[in-house]
Amino acid sequence: MRLDRMVVTQFEGRRWTLPAQVYAAPLELYDGLALSGSDVEKELQRLAYRRVVEPGRNDAPVQTGTYRKVGTRIDVGLRATRFADGARAAETLSITVADGAITGLRDGAGREMPIVRFDPLLIGSIFPIHGEDRIVVTPDEVPPLLPAALKAVEDRDFDTNRGVNLLGILRALWVDIRARRFDQGGSTLTQQLARSYFLSPRRTASRKIREAIMAIALDEHFSKADLMNAYINEIHLGQDGNRAINGFGLASEFYFGKPLSELDLREIATLVALVRGPSYYDPRRHPDRALKHRNLVLDELVQQHVVPEREARLAQAAPLGISAKSAGAYYPAYLDLVRRTLRRDYREQDLTEAGLKIFTNLDPRVQADADRVLDRELARLDRIHKALSAGAALEGAVVVTAPQSGDVMAVVGGRDAAYDGFNRALDGHRQIGSLVKPFIYLAALETGRYNATSIIQDEPVSIRIAGGKLWQPENFTRENYGPVPLVRALAESLNDATVNLGMDIGLDSVAHSLQRFGLDAEPPKNPSLLLGTVELTPLEVAQLYGGLANGGFRTTLRAVRAVISADGKALKAFPVEVESVAQADAVYEVDRMLEQVIERGTGKPARYVLPRGLVVAGKTGTSSDLRDSWFAGFSGDDLAVVWVGYDDDRVTGFTGETGALPVWSHLMADIAMSSWNVPMPDSLQEVTIDYPTGFRADGACSDDLVTLPVPPGTNPPLKPGCPGSLGAAIGGAVQGLMQRTGKWLQGFAH
Amino acid sequence: MNAALRCVLLALVALLGAGCGSLLGPPYQPSPAPQPVHSAPAPGSSTVTPPLTTTPQTQPPPLAPAPPPPQPPSRQYRLGAAASALVGQASQQAAAGNPDLAQATLERALRIEPDNPLLWTLLGEAHESAGQYALAGSMGRKALQLATGDARAQAGAWRLIGDSLRAQGRNSQANEAYSRADALAAQ
Repeated sequence: MRLDRMVVTQFEGRRWTLPAQVYAAPLELYDGLALSGSDVEKELQRLAYRRVVEPGRNDAPVQTGTYRKVGTRIDVGLRATRFADGARAAETLSITVADGAITGLRDGAGREMPIVRFDPLLIGSIFPIHGEDRIVVTPDEVPPLLPAALKAVEDRDFDTNRGVNLLGILRALWVDIRARRFDQGGSTLTQQLARSYFLSPRRTASRKIREAIMAIALDEHFSKADLMNAYINEIHLGQDGNRAINGFGLASEFYFGKPLSELDLREIATLVALVRGPSYYDPRRHPDRALKHRNLVLDELVQQHVVPEREARLAQAAPLGISAKSAGAYYPAYLDLVRRTLRRDYREQDLTEAGLKIFTNLDPRVQADADRVLDRELARLDRIHKALSAGAALEGAVVVTAPQSGDVMAVVGGRDAAYDGFNRALDGHRQIGSLVKPFIYLAALETGRYNATSIIQDEPVSIRIAGGKLWQPENFTRENYGPVPLVRALAESLNDATVNLGMDIGLDSVAHSLQRFGLDAEPPKNPSLLLGTVELTPLEVAQLYGGLANGGFRTTLRAVRAVISADGKALKAFPVEVESVAQADAVYEVDRMLEQVIERGTGKPARYVLPRGLVVAGKTGTSSDLRDSWFAGFSGDDLAVVWVGYDDDRVTGFTGETGALPVWSHLMADIAMSSWNVPMPDSLQEVTIDYPTGFRADGACSDDLVTLPVPPGTNPPLKPGCPGSLGAAIGGAVQGLMQRTGKWLQGFAH
Repeated sequence: MNAALRCVLLALVALLGAGCGSLLGPPYQPSPAPQPVHSAPAPGSSTVTPPLTTTPQTQPPPLAPAPPPPQPPSRQYRLGAAASALVGQASQQAAAGNPDLAQATLERALRIEPDNPLLWTLLGEAHESAGQYALAGSMGRKALQLATGDARAQAGAWRLIGDSLRAQGRNSQANEAYSRADALAAQ
């Protein structure tokens, strides 16, 4: 019998295609970590640990997958899990928290532990387009109630039948013929398995017969336990966009955010109810239907004596308990980056079929903050410019990295973070505007002819460009400020001063500076490069600014930490890579100037949002005609790049300061834990100047002082009127004269 | 165990206080002075903000004609308990012949204290023993940048830089790095 042989060989050699599973970075817990009790709880809930309240049993071992709070202590039954560097067995952990920080970690035997990891959160899988996604479970991972319930509801004679139920088929055929349609009632579990595994979903009578023959063949050659396990892994239980949710293992994660082994009666009943119609009974889209059908399943379980009536009634009184989709599962923009990273080393088929486990640097806390802040701030900005936008919705993108290691912690590809569409963080190439300026100032400092206090001329510029045309850039305010110190020109993002500086050091060195920090292609060397006409994605900007945040060391951005095979073998690691690409002292000077962007320049509004005393550095960017609004900046441990604009490139009406900066500063206020605080290189010293003019000064003669690092021997002229200055010695009468002299001196201050 | 691997192991042990003169200088003595490492909690925890420091900006220096270069404050980097535990674990992994795991474990420590030059030096040593000399040298330079004010940490970084240069056949530069290391270690 040909069909029989085909069924047996195919089923014997069965190997479900296993999409690669992708995990977030696990949270590391250690003494002193700033994490409150509610933070710990939030984290446990994200990982679908269930809180138990058992007064009087507070010293009994806590069950795997649950936690309990006892005063300032949180006891957790950690699940067995796998990390990039090895497996961990289930174990008990007691966390003590005081004053918003972890003060102690102990294992089940009461031993102190210096460091413990929570489970890495499963954030998704890489499935083929229009493809099946599943998590395969072994029989010991299946709660015994599930097969019992499946049998009771779907196939009472499963243990004794021969793969088909003849009476059932006849009855179904009769019903179907009368109703002039074919339905799937009357199928045994084995038939359903055969249909799902071998046949197309078309419903015809001949298919029904083939299905029955195949079911008989399966039943003859395989054990009931084997068939049940195959069924549990095979069957379709839902749809998530173009991703098919197959098998109870994935369904459990998809609907409840936790492993199958931890499901309780009501949750199992909900999944069993889904077998009959995953879309009709979709508990997220049709909760009423799903609830009603779940309760019917529970009734059936009582009638078949699978569960006691009291338990079933309790379960029927409980809500569905479906996890919010956003809390569990899906980070399309980040997964997009993961997929692109891996495509360099793996064939598509390896990723969608071979059951790889991929450990990433996604920080779910940072990602959630970034999603939320972008969405909220864009809604606010939309309201401000309702008239201008003519109803169009602003878009945005965010990338957050840890600059020292290059870890990419969060990627938001658009306003609807759960939408798997155009990924602006990776594909949105937009003019970066003044984000280019720090690299011009860096190149200037590296020549040795400039320092942070050097005076440059903010005067109208007119440059003859290709085609003989004149290029005459203007400051945003359309005013010029004359001689200004470097720090002020950068902090206030003065275009004319910057173009003068850039033309002096040359476009080659500016382009070279950008390339050293990670720009892939050589930018066009037009004078307009000095005002950021180069088009980059937020991810590329994060790469460039990473080098500034990291003291002149370029760190390759990494979404993936490691890849391991289905059987736990390490396949590939992506180690931290650093390379020195600039003079460390020049980068330090630039960073201190970028700090002034926030303290008194175009980034100043951030100060009203950020915690007092948190030192950050960054830069606004606005493209011509206000089409793109950018902010890129960093604290001690986080770097964030924000872009805001319209997809069709229309005018937003926002500068970097009014559009992207609010998103950036609210996000930083949430996630930044430490100040930007790099030690000053030994090769520099500090000098205090009058910020507007660049003269050396003190509190007696200036109310706008800034202290900056400069190379030794840098000695800006003393501000007229300061104690010790020539002007003060002669007296106020000749101050006007001295101010003119001061201006004259500025010419020599380079 | 090959020699390179043993070298890393020794470096790791040195950091834990067991002593190894050749790579990182004498072991770090616990000092009662406040720990200068700004402890870097895991990124992302959102509700608690630890005390933060601001760079002083309003304190003008004395208006002498040419202020003398200020001496950087002397400090001594140490590892926090969590990073120490991970370094210990990495040393065991290296000893068991798993240099890749050891590297991954050191990276875990680095995520907790990204500004600690000792960890950059250790990770650099691990790459040095794996034959990635240029990367090891870069990590040495990164450590050196962070080690401002800590002569011993600087000495360790210079030794790593020297090792990386020597392995790349740049002997005279390597010797220069070693003599800087020796001079710093003698301070």
